Amino acid sequence: MKALSVENLCVKADNRHLLENITFSVEEGRIVAIIGPNGAGKTTLIKAILGLIPYQTGSVSLFGRPFRHNKSHTKVGYVPQRLEFDRTFPLTVSELLGFTVPPIYSFPFHRKGKEKKYIDRLLKTVGAQDLRDRGIGSLSGGELQRVMIAKAIVNEPGILFLDEAASGVDIEGQEKFYDLVRRLNKEKGLTVILISHDLNVVYRFADDVLCLNRRLVCTGSPEDTLTNEVIKSVYGEMMGAYIHSCHEHD
Amino acid sequence: MRISTVAMSMISEFLSYPFIQRALLASVMVGILCPFVGNFVVLRRMSFFADAISHSAFAGIAAGAILGIDLSVSSVAVAILIALLIAFLSEKTSLSHDTVIGVAFSGAIATGMLIVGMLKGYRADLFTFLFGDILAITNSDLLLIFVISILTVAILLIFLKPFLQITFNSDLARVEGINVRFFEYLLFLIIAIVITVSLKIIGIILVTSLLIVPAASAKNLASSMKHLFVLSSLFGVISGIAGLAGSVYLNTSSGPTIVLVSIGIFFLTMLKRART
Repeated sequence: MKALSVENLCVKADNRHLLENITFSVEEGRIVAIIGPNGAGKTTLIKAILGLIPYQTGSVSLFGRPFRHNKSHTKVGYVPQRLEFDRTFPLTVSELLGFTVPPIYSFPFHRKGKEKKYIDRLLKTVGAQDLRDRGIGSLSGGELQRVMIAKAIVNEPGILFLDEAASGVDIEGQEKFYDLVRRLNKEKGLTVILISHDLNVVYRFADDVLCLNRRLVCTGSPEDTLTNEVIKSVYGEMMGAYIHSCHEHD
Repeated sequence: MRISTVAMSMISEFLSYPFIQRALLASVMVGILCPFVGNFVVLRRMSFFADAISHSAFAGIAAGAILGIDLSVSSVAVAILIALLIAFLSEKTSLSHDTVIGVAFSGAIATGMLIVGMLKGYRADLFTFLFGDILAITNSDLLLIFVISILTVAILLIFLKPFLQITFNSDLARVEGINVRFFEYLLFLIIAIVITVSLKIIGIILVTSLLIVPAASAKNLASSMKHLFVLSSLFGVISGIAGLAGSVYLNTSSGPTIVLVSIGIFFLTMLKRART
């Protein structure tokens, strides 16, 4: 089954095309990396798919159904690029996750045993069980990303969107982060759409790649798609040379 | 022994006056209500919006005075109108939220001043709204504050999860299926209503302080949202009661005394925060 279908998606701003005729589909259970230079429209694509910005033409379907805002959102998880929030927000990890635990319209401070156990289990899944009572503003970049993943999978989504979710995290943290994403993909059959600038991450963790530069430049497996020619055409000459030297070391 | 007896008799005499009893009840209710809503104002950095709404109420009061409408009704109506206008323009135009608020704020003040200039004679009731007079609270004012407090706190508690979700990050809330637009408008409406029912107690000029200062004090100490809501209401009630008692004892205006007590608490919490 197709987890995501995007057809002829066009996004314009100030009469300028940010995305032009984007068409692709993603099979359930795949990890798909979207790559492209800065300004290529990667974040715009994810935001348009999620209905966070409007698109002029085209359609988006999730699991065979048209995706509309405020409807059938339970199957979607999202970790944004740079999570902007007030660091002095007096909010614990447990409270943050509690917002998303159903029922949504209930008093959030009254933790029933079942809800508490659910949050504990969730934090254990992402290796963040020790963070439950920590203030959200006191978390390191890596810890915060793990908590955000936990938040994104609270409602057991079928598809997870990660917009450079590991940026600003150290190398060890990034490794842990992508290992966690891979584990969730394997154990829960979660479809993952991720944006990354790190082509090593793409090679190692993605099943498929979408090269984007306002238009869809290419799609396919990382081995078939990320050729020197394609990388040069997407990122420019310097990037092609860098990737080539990495291959020589391998 | 004699001193404590004298003090007790002074307190019981103080509490025996019906206007003091009403003022105490009002200060407790508004002391809980304003900071409860004020937490969202502080966390969402909406202080300027709250200020604009309180000053919009001035235009409503002026309009009520010239049209012969009940001033509470006209102030609520205009405050709600301006709040919804700000929300609508912020959503539909590319103007920044601050710019929209600034325009609405200036427009409301200018309109209010223009209308007041057209009024004939001295209007003491206008000054009650401008500076507040907790000792002039009537039984019907108390009932109105009680009903609004119960309704507001109930709505905020029932929808606390989506309100806090949106406060934390509106994009995440939207992706999780929360109708952000609906809750934004609802919050704006609640802030407008709470401000206008508190006007008679604290006045247009200072009402935002009661909304912001106890919530800001609580934010200095709170380690969780639960603490934030409990502490802000506690600081609001302490400010209300201590400010009222202080104003009666020192023969000062009640509104400014309440606000100065709450600012005193704010500085204490800042000191405590700096030490930890």
